[in-house]
Amino acid sequence: MSPLIAQSLRDYRRTLIGWTIGISAFLSLYVSIYTSISANPEVYGPAALAKFPGALKDLMGGMADITSGPGYLQSVVYQLFIPMLFIACACTLGNRAIAAPEESGVLELTVTLPIPRTSLVLQRFAAAVLGLLAVAAVSFLVTWAAAANAGIGVPADRLLAGHTGVFLLGLFFCALTLTVGAATGRRALASGVAGVWAVGGYAVVTLGQSVPAIAWLKWIVPYYYYLDGRPLYRGFPVGDYLVLAGATAVLLLTAALAFDRRDVGV
Amino acid sequence: MNVMTAVVEAEGLTKFYGRRRGLEDLDLAIQPGEVFGYLGPNGSGKTTTIRLILDVIRPTRGRVTVLGADPKDAQVRARVGYLPGELSLEGRDRASQYLRFLGDARGGVPQARIDELAERLEADLSVPMGKLSKGNKQKVGLIQAFMHQPEFLILDEPTSGLDPLVQQEFLAMVREVRADGRTVLMSSHVLAEVEHVSDRVGIVRSGRLVAVEEVAALREKAVRRIELHFDAPVPPEAFEGLPGVRDLRVAGASVTCTIDGRPDALIKAAAKFTVVHLVSAEPDLEEIFLTYYSNEEEPNVPADRAESA
Repeated sequence: MSPLIAQSLRDYRRTLIGWTIGISAFLSLYVSIYTSISANPEVYGPAALAKFPGALKDLMGGMADITSGPGYLQSVVYQLFIPMLFIACACTLGNRAIAAPEESGVLELTVTLPIPRTSLVLQRFAAAVLGLLAVAAVSFLVTWAAAANAGIGVPADRLLAGHTGVFLLGLFFCALTLTVGAATGRRALASGVAGVWAVGGYAVVTLGQSVPAIAWLKWIVPYYYYLDGRPLYRGFPVGDYLVLAGATAVLLLTAALAFDRRDVGV
Repeated sequence: MNVMTAVVEAEGLTKFYGRRRGLEDLDLAIQPGEVFGYLGPNGSGKTTTIRLILDVIRPTRGRVTVLGADPKDAQVRARVGYLPGELSLEGRDRASQYLRFLGDARGGVPQARIDELAERLEADLSVPMGKLSKGNKQKVGLIQAFMHQPEFLILDEPTSGLDPLVQQEFLAMVREVRADGRTVLMSSHVLAEVEHVSDRVGIVRSGRLVAVEEVAALREKAVRRIELHFDAPVPPEAFEGLPGVRDLRVAGASVTCTIDGRPDALIKAAAKFTVVHLVSAEPDLEEIFLTYYSNEEEPNVPADRAESA
């Protein structure tokens, strides 16, 4: 491992440990409640959910079959919370790659090391990829163990498909914040762009699907390529995931070229 | 043209930040083995020059080479040591860990070399970087700049925050680098900080290099404020009209004046009486500006004229 990637992982370490614990704890807690829900289907079944407004159910992923294993996982957590937590973690890393050390002045010395600018961006991102991969892998293992324990009945490969999806979603937003940060050096701007794209995008692919005027916007919403294939039900949606990976690669290239051209720390 | 390649060679180097001038038309050649002091008030363009040399920022016009290469060539930076003017160290990692990373990134530095420098500067590397004092951060900055024994050292305000003993040790380190035949560019806003180790100094003001001088020649031009106290009142006429003496004020047993260049005539005049106390303030750069350079109509002295002066 190159010195810069190792150093970057050290920079990200505390962030990564915190998010890994948070996401894993949240998932195992949520999964452990399933036993009480599956034991009382009449309390949580369709009749009980009918009293919620349709828009709210859309936001939470339909909540159509909350008493089944995949339905329970998809509702609320894999629909909304887990992607959002991954995106937040990824944006933190994306900012820590360039914009945060540039604002604090630490980057000044880093750019004077014998490392080309493009390589610097790629190595900072590579460390973030490794970090996010660790978060996704650990949270997958914890959830898989908890799910087996609670008898949730979602096969490991479906769960893996879900975690791969949120991992790729995270990579996209990590690359997005990195790109804005690499092009401008401004952390607040990068967070703002990522936040608007994530929250706005989520609204478009949930509430917006019944509004024809904005429904087409789903094509530029990263969320769509995660939710569309219903990975917890059907396994890996390869085409959708390739779109996410491809968009990330384009962003990364943009980040490297933008950072190579500009003045640092002015 | 020189036989040896200049360590830094700038031609018409210009940097504008939007409409604000950072540096304009810098022509400068720093030769191998010399210690070059780069002087100017804060915001005059010293840091802009240094950051252009290191490819942290890019010139608006003109060009610069470092050790014969384009600064964009990352490999050349392995042969350069750099102390930023505002060194930022943060986080809970120890300074020793950060130094190992910087050493590895530059191709490897023996731990013994880092320990030796830390001992010389009395730096504690076991403290988390975010908790280091200003002086200790500066020591860590010096260690990382010197540790890989670079051919060319660029030090931006190196002595700020250092106590006098450590400053002496630092100056000794600079002299060792020169004795090795390596090159140093160090900036400061105080002449006294660089004059004892520099061979030449460049003076930059409002983004323009106004003069490049041998240190000895600059010292001759420096204005010095001198105060003499005698055991009895002295006649004013004994000090009037001495060469180089200006702003003379004789009040009873004390004489104050400013001196351009050599104090020889004044000392000889004073020697006729009994001197009980003598104060000679170090010439500061601002006074040189006010006296010597403010007289010039056009501050942009062509480099060739300045260098032959």
